[in-house]
Amino acid sequence: MSDTSKRTVAFRGGGFAPKPQAWIGVMVFVVLILVAEWGTRAGWISALTLPKPSDVLETFRQLYSSGLLFQHLGPSLARLAVGATLGVSIGISVGVLIGLFSYIRSGLVPVIAAIFPIPKIALLPLFVIWFGIGEGSKYALIAFGTFTPTVVATYGAVDNVDRTLIRMGQSFGLSWWSIVRKIILPGALPGILSGLRISLSIAIILLVAAEMLGAQYGIGAYILEAGSLYDLERLFAGVVILSLLGVVVSAVISFIERRMLGWRS
Amino acid sequence: MIKLSRRKAMALMGGTVAASGLAAPALAMNKKIKVGALRFTSHSGNFVAFERGYFAEAGLDVEFEFFQAAQPMAVAIASGDIDYAVTAISGGLISLADKGAIKVIGGALQEEAGIDGQKYLISDASYQAGIQSLKDLNGKKYAITQAGSSFHYMGAKMAAAEGIELSYTPLQKVGAIIGAMKSGQVDGWSIVPHIAKPLAKAGAWHIVGNVADYIPDYQVTTVFTSANNAANERGQTESFLAGFSKGVDDYAAAMIDGTADQDEMVDLIHKYVYTDRERAKAAGSIINGTMRISSGAALNLGSVQDQLSWFQSEGLVGKDITLDTLVDSSYVKTIGG
Repeated sequence: MSDTSKRTVAFRGGGFAPKPQAWIGVMVFVVLILVAEWGTRAGWISALTLPKPSDVLETFRQLYSSGLLFQHLGPSLARLAVGATLGVSIGISVGVLIGLFSYIRSGLVPVIAAIFPIPKIALLPLFVIWFGIGEGSKYALIAFGTFTPTVVATYGAVDNVDRTLIRMGQSFGLSWWSIVRKIILPGALPGILSGLRISLSIAIILLVAAEMLGAQYGIGAYILEAGSLYDLERLFAGVVILSLLGVVVSAVISFIERRMLGWRS
Repeated sequence: MIKLSRRKAMALMGGTVAASGLAAPALAMNKKIKVGALRFTSHSGNFVAFERGYFAEAGLDVEFEFFQAAQPMAVAIASGDIDYAVTAISGGLISLADKGAIKVIGGALQEEAGIDGQKYLISDASYQAGIQSLKDLNGKKYAITQAGSSFHYMGAKMAAAEGIELSYTPLQKVGAIIGAMKSGQVDGWSIVPHIAKPLAKAGAWHIVGNVADYIPDYQVTTVFTSANNAANERGQTESFLAGFSKGVDDYAAAMIDGTADQDEMVDLIHKYVYTDRERAKAAGSIINGTMRISSGAALNLGSVQDQLSWFQSEGLVGKDITLDTLVDSSYVKTIGG
């Protein structure tokens, strides 16, 4: 007995619990960019393969100081705002209806499943005939692209609302409308918001496609032009703007989540 | 008897190989090369040279790689996937030359007085609304495929000559532009005659001017290759240009000068162009699309310089790019510049 009591056993628990390391993410970016800068300067990455990060920064600075940045950003943000608002609001409404009513669900779910996989870019020429070559076709493309993922996320979220809460509301004699307003909609909100992250990212992706036809200004048009000129600095400057847009959209949704989902904690 | 040491034998062998290499660059090597092409009549020089064995005569085993647009072809040259191609000078092409990837080595399609060239068009809807001359296009939508394309250049040269401003509308593809012109979404455009004429007859648009009147001696397309081929594969590049030039001469003899059988030439071209249409229908388009491809791949340096300067003045390519960066003029006869 004395033998075993002497033996110390190392603590084997712990680990397997990711902790946020705030600076590591930034460090990875910095290291990647520094390696690219070193490679392009030293010459073991050719000018054909990657642009110099410092040149991209310089292009970005010129874009800003010449005022072109806002000339491109303005129309793109307007297209994103109008298109995504249309697509998301109609998408949430349809999604909630599908979640609540069996007839609508049976009727619309196959339709949504049928139009989800259509590459919206393929329909662009058609949209040009329907909505004109101006802003109409661009709004329509982005709206259509955000609509389907929003619908799917929304009715999924409505389906996932805790049934016991609904039964409890019924036991307490709440009206149908009260249950929808006080239990189903707040309960579905987390799912809807996380669906929004996906649909808004898709909206940003579609921005480039929407600006393929007949756009003189816009981030997408800028990227396409840089691509056709094989101007890598401008191409990367444009891509960085899209990435930043994505980060901003994600931050806005996080903010909304904190405000509207405060009841969870 | 001469004593032949091993070292002497090696030297002799080396000398023979070098001598034969200098005398007949790629001959008898049957070297495999890839040539990029679009299914347009303007690429007939390549098709004729291949079908009539002129490439084989020059010692090249040519394989065609077909593309849908000129831009990817330039990128494919830069990446080394194809060796030679013919296309219009675009902003992308100049950028790639600036990055040391490709070189223009000769001329191909050119505008020539007396041969129907590219046309300026106004869509029927705009024409009915009173836009009936190029001057009336001021402030109107002018279709281009992409910024820095040859369409952009042609529009800008016309606008400068007429003293008007155009609103350039990028539509990516020729097919999309034709649709937009038919439905009146854009007002003006320019295109090769074999597309312009049939649809003008059908009432889709109206021909209101010749590109040749605004851009004299326009070198529409050029022959280009990778910078590596131009600098280090001299023999192979010369062989290619020799075969290509023979094809061009046959094409011109049959289609323009009338000194050879035109029907036979149309049959040959029809193997590559408008293959989805029957011979009778395709023949009209092939004959309508006839343009001068410069003999001996001669290159009009004056026109190339003008195009380069325009791209620079628009800020589409770097200001410090010189003609020498873009062109290797050691291969063919040059005009102007």
